[in-house]
Amino acid sequence: MFKNEEMEINLGPQHPSTHGVLRVKLRLDGETIKHCRPMIGYLHRGVEKICENKTYFQGQVWTDRMDYCSAIANNLGWAEANEKLFGITVPRRAQYIRTMLNEFNRLASHLVWLATHALDIGAMTVFLYTFREREDILDINEAFCGSRLTTTALRIGGLREDLPPGFEKLVHKFLAKFPDCLEEYENLLSENRIWKKRTVGVAKLNAEDAIALGVTGPMLRAAGVPYDIRKAFPYAAYAEMDFEIPTRTEADTYARYLVRLAEMRQSARIIQQCMDGMPEGPVMAKIPKILKAEVNEVYHATEAPKGEIGYYLVGEKGSPNPYRFHVRAPGFINLQSLPKMVEGSLLADIVAAIGTLDIVLGEIDR
Amino acid sequence: MSDANLPEVATGPFVYDYKAAPNRQITMPKSVPLPGFRAYVAEQEALVIAEEAKWQKQLADFEVAKAKAEAEGKDVPKAPVKAAVKKNDTDMVFPAPTEAKDADLLRLVEMLGEKVEEVFEQAGELTCQVGKDHILEALQLCRKDSQLKFEMLADQTGTHYPAATGFAFSVVYHLTSISRKKRLRLRILVPEGFEPESATQVYPSANWMEREIWDMLGIRFANHPDMVRILCPEDWEGHALRKDYPVVGWGQRDIDFREDRGGMLNRIAMEKAGQLGINLKRPKAE
Repeated sequence: MFKNEEMEINLGPQHPSTHGVLRVKLRLDGETIKHCRPMIGYLHRGVEKICENKTYFQGQVWTDRMDYCSAIANNLGWAEANEKLFGITVPRRAQYIRTMLNEFNRLASHLVWLATHALDIGAMTVFLYTFREREDILDINEAFCGSRLTTTALRIGGLREDLPPGFEKLVHKFLAKFPDCLEEYENLLSENRIWKKRTVGVAKLNAEDAIALGVTGPMLRAAGVPYDIRKAFPYAAYAEMDFEIPTRTEADTYARYLVRLAEMRQSARIIQQCMDGMPEGPVMAKIPKILKAEVNEVYHATEAPKGEIGYYLVGEKGSPNPYRFHVRAPGFINLQSLPKMVEGSLLADIVAAIGTLDIVLGEIDR
Repeated sequence: MSDANLPEVATGPFVYDYKAAPNRQITMPKSVPLPGFRAYVAEQEALVIAEEAKWQKQLADFEVAKAKAEAEGKDVPKAPVKAAVKKNDTDMVFPAPTEAKDADLLRLVEMLGEKVEEVFEQAGELTCQVGKDHILEALQLCRKDSQLKFEMLADQTGTHYPAATGFAFSVVYHLTSISRKKRLRLRILVPEGFEPESATQVYPSANWMEREIWDMLGIRFANHPDMVRILCPEDWEGHALRKDYPVVGWGQRDIDFREDRGGMLNRIAMEKAGQLGINLKRPKAE
């Protein structure tokens, strides 16, 4: 009576735990995953093609909309790649403000990750807590540039404008309460038996495989590799900041959770240092209204909340448009490791694995 | 606004003109923006020569005008003045390519010899261009060599150069050494139809990146485990990031909704003309 054959099922593209429109083709033996093949492209808009047909400045709004949870981190990588291409020196005050906004963005992105990851696994309450603090960060974004999510906050050469009056008060208010909030999340999850059952030892990816598959960000650091672009190839004002790179060696979902929580603490530290040491001066470099490149190519990578985001630009002499605009999206590369993480484990673990990857399909499909 | 000022509205069904659609216009690039030290030096030398020729012509013109004015008894024209070098009042300094001095590049030249076509540094980045048949060897060297140790392939992508002679694409590999905190760019130039060796044999992370290159630019890689499209559907026609591919997809956005609300007239005309658009074909009944 017992059938002993493998079954093929589709997880997604319309499934709440896939964080968008990711389709994963699975071959199951009972509840064990024998084969896993992620299929992407449902959100492909051709960002690279569009940006190649717009001027250097106009590409920015498209970078916002790739990873919509971390718009400023995308902007920062884009702005710095352009600055490298043209050889623009950015004023020091602008660097500090950028660093601060980037860290706020990292907090916001990690808070969304924690909320949705916990929600997928079955912990509903954390969602309500983290979105409360995320709201404050979005208010800070709004105070700075008027928009909350897709901010377009930076410009090539610096910032559009200086900090608004009263901005410090907002930041200090946030920083005063944030450590307690982090403790709240930890109280809810860290020693929670169900949370630990669902995460400890799940979706393991050791350092060797992670490096071979190009995995970056908290995923790599949870495997014990202290690779953080903010330290390895410092950009913006990170060279002047004092912070640590949290790492774990367990390389499982729980370790990634701990690494991201520790990272949030470091982000708060960096924000505090930016506010304390904020230099005076202009926030915008002197650049022409229309940028026309010389023949040059750059690859500039920055540490986005999800990993290494790299921009590859090729400039054409006398043209106001980039000849080639390529984005190395961290989610795109990290998602490659999904089969490695889940093959041989149970079907329920793939939900935890997708959650721990922290993917945004807008960035993966571009 | 009087009726005379209104634009003329075409009557009758809209005739779909495949070539005149405004969003379809493709401007093919005329230059080949391939960065390199030799090309840069040659360009600078040509600029100096052109500048000198222009100055000589100005002088000659002045001599002619002077002689003419003297003969006619008029005022002698002013002698030409060499144009001053433009002052850079911006915070921009173009990072010009320089000769390779970095130890990594020198090591690559030492190990690969004539297989290296060009090495240079620009904007703080190291570039090494190798022959298109030797990319696998170069990648293996970068991965294994104790002095190089580039553990991770961070990014791989390509660029289409339709105006170039001898090659049609460049493929670039961005390698990262986590332990040594260095980056390196390997570059190959490939003609249309050439299949470079897949980097997955050295760096497994190249899998999806090479699938993306095939999808977007149409470069196939030899010995790749899974050479299928990744972002577009399997039956998609064309490769979107080639320079001869329009920005707006075929068959879409050509509908002028001012005259044809809902776009039905347009769609019917397009269908009749057999131009529903290559990616909007009706699914065939099986």
